[in-house]
Amino acid sequence: MHSIPVASALGTDRLSLRYRFDRALDSALIWPVLVGATVIFLAVFIGYPVIYNLVMSFQEVNVGNLRSMHRPFVGLANYIKLLDDPLFWVVARNTASFVIGNVVLQCLGGLALALYFAQRFPGSGWLRGVILAGWMMPPLVIGGVWKWMLTSDNGVVNFVLQSLGLVSGKIYWLSDPAMSLISVMAANIWFGLPFNMILIAAGLAGIPQDILEAAALDGAGPVRRFFSITLPLLAPTLYALVALSTIYTMRAFDLIWTMTHGGPVDASNIFPVWSYRLSFEVFDFGTGAAISTEMLVIVFLVALVFVRSVRAESRI
Amino acid sequence: MKNATRISQRDSIPTRQWVLLAFGLLIATSYLFPVYWMVVSALKSANEVNAAIPTLFPREPTLNAFRWIFERENIGRYLANSFLIAGGSTALTLLLATGSAYALSRVRSIWMDAVLVGVLLSQVLPPPLLVTPMFVILRQLDLVNTYTAVILATTSKTLPFAVIMLRTTFAQIPIEIEEAARVDGCSRLMAFLQVTLPLARVGYIVVGSLVFLQAYGEFVYPMSLMNKQAMQPATVGLYGFVGADYSDWGNAMAFATVMVLPVLIIFVALQKRIVSGLTSGALK
Amino acid sequence: MITWTRRTVLGIGLATAALVAMPATAQTVTMWHIFGQPSEPGLGNIKRWNDANPSTQIDHKFIPFGQLSQQLIKGIATGDVPDLITIDNPNTASFASLGALEDLTDMVAKSSVIKASNFYKGSWGVTQWKGRQWAVPGEANTIALYYNADMFRAKGLDPDKPPKTWSELLAITEKLTDKSKNVYGLGFSAIQNEEGTSQWLAWLEQSGGSLTNLNSPDAVAALQVWTDLVAKEQVSKDALVRRQFEMTNAWTGGGSAMVISGPWELQRMKDVKFDWRVAPMPVRDGKNIQASALGGFVWGIPMGAKNKAGAFKVIEFMSLQPQMAQAWLGGRLPPSPNVVIDNPQFPAAYAAFKKQMEFARPRGPHPEWPTISAAVQTAIQEALTGRAKPAQALEKASKVIAPLLQKNPLPAAQ
Repeated sequence: MHSIPVASALGTDRLSLRYRFDRALDSALIWPVLVGATVIFLAVFIGYPVIYNLVMSFQEVNVGNLRSMHRPFVGLANYIKLLDDPLFWVVARNTASFVIGNVVLQCLGGLALALYFAQRFPGSGWLRGVILAGWMMPPLVIGGVWKWMLTSDNGVVNFVLQSLGLVSGKIYWLSDPAMSLISVMAANIWFGLPFNMILIAAGLAGIPQDILEAAALDGAGPVRRFFSITLPLLAPTLYALVALSTIYTMRAFDLIWTMTHGGPVDASNIFPVWSYRLSFEVFDFGTGAAISTEMLVIVFLVALVFVRSVRAESRI
Repeated sequence: MKNATRISQRDSIPTRQWVLLAFGLLIATSYLFPVYWMVVSALKSANEVNAAIPTLFPREPTLNAFRWIFERENIGRYLANSFLIAGGSTALTLLLATGSAYALSRVRSIWMDAVLVGVLLSQVLPPPLLVTPMFVILRQLDLVNTYTAVILATTSKTLPFAVIMLRTTFAQIPIEIEEAARVDGCSRLMAFLQVTLPLARVGYIVVGSLVFLQAYGEFVYPMSLMNKQAMQPATVGLYGFVGADYSDWGNAMAFATVMVLPVLIIFVALQKRIVSGLTSGALK
Repeated sequence: MITWTRRTVLGIGLATAALVAMPATAQTVTMWHIFGQPSEPGLGNIKRWNDANPSTQIDHKFIPFGQLSQQLIKGIATGDVPDLITIDNPNTASFASLGALEDLTDMVAKSSVIKASNFYKGSWGVTQWKGRQWAVPGEANTIALYYNADMFRAKGLDPDKPPKTWSELLAITEKLTDKSKNVYGLGFSAIQNEEGTSQWLAWLEQSGGSLTNLNSPDAVAALQVWTDLVAKEQVSKDALVRRQFEMTNAWTGGGSAMVISGPWELQRMKDVKFDWRVAPMPVRDGKNIQASALGGFVWGIPMGAKNKAGAFKVIEFMSLQPQMAQAWLGGRLPPSPNVVIDNPQFPAAYAAFKKQMEFARPRGPHPEWPTISAAVQTAIQEALTGRAKPAQALEKASKVIAPLLQKNPLPAAQ
């Protein structure tokens, strides 16, 4: 230990802090430490609020006892009330349609756009960047603009459709219960496309060109190349995207609130909207919290699927 | 043979390129129509905005809405706050995410799976439901009414996303490259900093941009965690147009246009770096 | 390297916090309000107070209207409440019954400015709960009928004779609806939130019905009228998802001949190019009951506020004639019949709304008003979309409302 220090190729001294630091990084302990920062941060800022909500879902909470954490414990009463409410099944169905429709169409749309703009033509990069403008608009404004566009009476969409002769009467995009969910879905998909596109594009960039070229030389057509090479290599990105999209869509609130307020007659009511209404319009916090807990359970299942996909990840 | 193929592609029928461009323009313009609508509405007079028959191009374009927001609203201050919060959140997010994303990409164990599930779960609840307990925490840390509080809260929203996407980025970088560097005498840290990170450059730019945009659009946390009007970002200012009895869409569109414009310009400029990253085939 | 940077960030953050956080002295009154637009009279009044009281400044923060309840609740949950807050008047009883507001009865008793005689009965009534006073009216408004005189003349109708009864209204609406020009006869808001309820209550009460008996033929008739108008496409179906302001947008753009809305629309009337008028609400034939819902905010002092005395002084200031008179400049009405406004802008409209205010009825006070309102909204939406017949929809709503009214009856109508 007290021998003359031998400088290594990088000029570090065996006893120096730098060398010890580097050696420490080699140990297996470094992994938990690296992950630790994120875990602690999220545990404090998200974990506590989640537990807060969880506890609230088992209590009878109103504005009066909101301040203290000591509130009447009611066990599963809030959850039972939730399941007994016929509105629950309506909202559940809406949420399922909304989430599945959004995730599938955003992903496919994003993939199509990414593939299209990955081709080399002048301006492809610039156009791709400009499309990102859609994602920059604040949800309040997106909701407002789409609400305007979809107005039955003087909205641009109906105007164009009627001028082109594609429809004869007005389509009640927002005020017809059968259409309102589709309308908010369309707006949300529109909003999410650039996000999906850019992430898939980044994933595509990670695919080595020489493999694709070799396959082309071997006679594989573009479709075959896509399904045999591109898609499998893109899989990790796609799985991550689907998991994230699902969660983001489950959380979608601002857009729907602005466009239809969850109506008409709860046709576009999804869980986060309902939870907000219960907590902040009717002041029934316990039930509002129960809904958010139940959202957690659903996402937990999604997360499990994602983790399985990560485990199955194979390296190039 | 490879070179021959490449050359022949470059000299191939240029019309193909133009067709692609034309179609690309069509896609982009159709997609961007709502954005166009936002800007065009900001240029219309109040009456034309509500006209029974919508006009695709303003008949009497006016800058009234823009004049209103520049004179009456303090939009410069709002934008400065927005950039501060978004920039701070992006920096903190990327800083915190790097370590964990890297670890998660290299190590497979039941603990890592648990962390991944936890990270995903942490995104489920929308901010309005989280904000009350979060306020309590921040008050304990004596950070209420500060930009720091909002940055921390916003980071909690963007961090999971960054971790998951950066994890994927790192996973795409073969561990063999790092091991090769270490064989050459690099320490693990040096290998990471000098070999892995540069290869992840594109991922960082993309994820960083998206995190910035998410933070830029954040509304609930600045509204709830800061009591000073002067510290509020543009997103809060935007809600001023939807009041108890009015929805001032015309002026709101002008405000939103001004809000989006600086970010859009930055992104179009950044696009060059992303393109060069994406087309150079980084792994070569 | 990483640790150092993070420490620096935290350090800078804490330093900023120390610089930015200003200690609140006993001479500050913190206020949360909904005055979003710079032209709001409320903001002007705050400035007047600050100019006149340099030692007691109002530290105010704007909260978007839709966030108000949420922010107040969050404030109560965390103990971070302002000294003074504006509350939408129908929510007063809810907040009061749940202990979210300070009891103002004693302070009001000692006050020379805040007296029942100085306010509209309806506005005053909303602030009472279980014999105590919990808020002070800040502003009042109600709805009336806006109509396009040019369109009247075009169809051979006399714009100086606006419809006074429902039958006249329905006849005129039919005449003015012009599908070929994309023009609806009438517009009102049936959106699934408090605005929808406040619009329909006028029709319910004028019809002779009331919330205590939603199954009565009068109540059903009130909903039937709306249903028929939408079914006949004389009112746009988009009324189901549009606010009053948005329905008026359509009217200013020439998309409808008439619209029912409040005085807040007057701000933009200067841009309207046609001859527009305002008339009081038409009454139901045979009943002749004038009624409409009372809107506007009230001032409340949240429970646990630090500077209650200061906050109350601000309320008194805001209730003085000079401050109240500012309201009309922003298209709002003061909650007091005694306020004199010289040379009001839009004098004809002012007269019409002032007249209608005499008949404006409060919503509640009832601690479960949000639940009651939600049931009414659902009934409206179901009837107007054709999902249920008005009688069925109201039957369903009354099942929800009746037990709530039994527990806490509504005060008798004025």
